[in-house]
Amino acid sequence: MPERPEHKPALADKATVEGSGIRLEPLPEGHLLHVIGAFDGDSLANALPTAGLATSTVRAAGYQQWYITGEESLPPSRIALLADHLKGRGFVSDQSHGRIRIALSGPRAADLLAQGTAVDLDAAAFPIGQSAVTLFGHVSVQLTRTQAARFELTVLRSFAEDLYEMLEHAAAT
Amino acid sequence: MASLISCPHCGVRPKEEFTIRGDASLARPTGDADAGVWYDYVYLRDNPKGRHKEYWHHSSGCRRWLIVERDTVSHAVHTVSDAALAKLGGAA
Ligand SMILES: [Zn+2]
Repeated sequence: MPERPEHKPALADKATVEGSGIRLEPLPEGHLLHVIGAFDGDSLANALPTAGLATSTVRAAGYQQWYITGEESLPPSRIALLADHLKGRGFVSDQSHGRIRIALSGPRAADLLAQGTAVDLDAAAFPIGQSAVTLFGHVSVQLTRTQAARFELTVLRSFAEDLYEMLEHAAAT
Repeated sequence: MASLISCPHCGVRPKEEFTIRGDASLARPTGDADAGVWYDYVYLRDNPKGRHKEYWHHSSGCRRWLIVERDTVSHAVHTVSDAALAKLGGAA
């Protein structure tokens, strides 16, 4: 028996859903770092290459709060590198196991999301790279537009399956 | 409409994303204040008709406390500011 329980991805049992004009897929449980600090998002983005996170993306999560995310799973030493870099200015909290990312894409993606959230998803109001912490139904999510017709939803781990099933249902109807 | 709140950090959001705490103009008495003063502070509330300031927490958004000035008759929202920043003298 292993000393510690093995990590099982929250959406391991969920398959990618392809419907007409819609694609729903669970994303790899890479890294998700919550950063809080009195600086701006650009200076945080500029700090990423120095901390060895050049391929990660920064998402605004409210006043002086961000999530840094990417596909790769990071060992504590790599996270410590970023924490060291921000020392005295900001704090890093590893949420990699706490939050799950789901991708929704296709020409129907925005319409489907509009069924659950009040955020204005018009490309002018919510351009590529824009992020919002909001509700999808009764579930708290962070919504990001990553491409013109592609969005990512980040959700607390315990709500991931429920949200995925809500989206599966919406995609099928 | 008070059912839409314009968060200074997040933009326009429905009231379902917020938790309301109540009157933002109340001043908390000091610890050694008279019991009568505390009674008034804890239990007695105005029920204003017209403009009124309230604390709204953007609990399903940026999680900041806001001060929302709204009209209790027309539900029009006049101003929304970040409560902590407003106390520090900023505009939010
Ligand atoms: Zn907000």
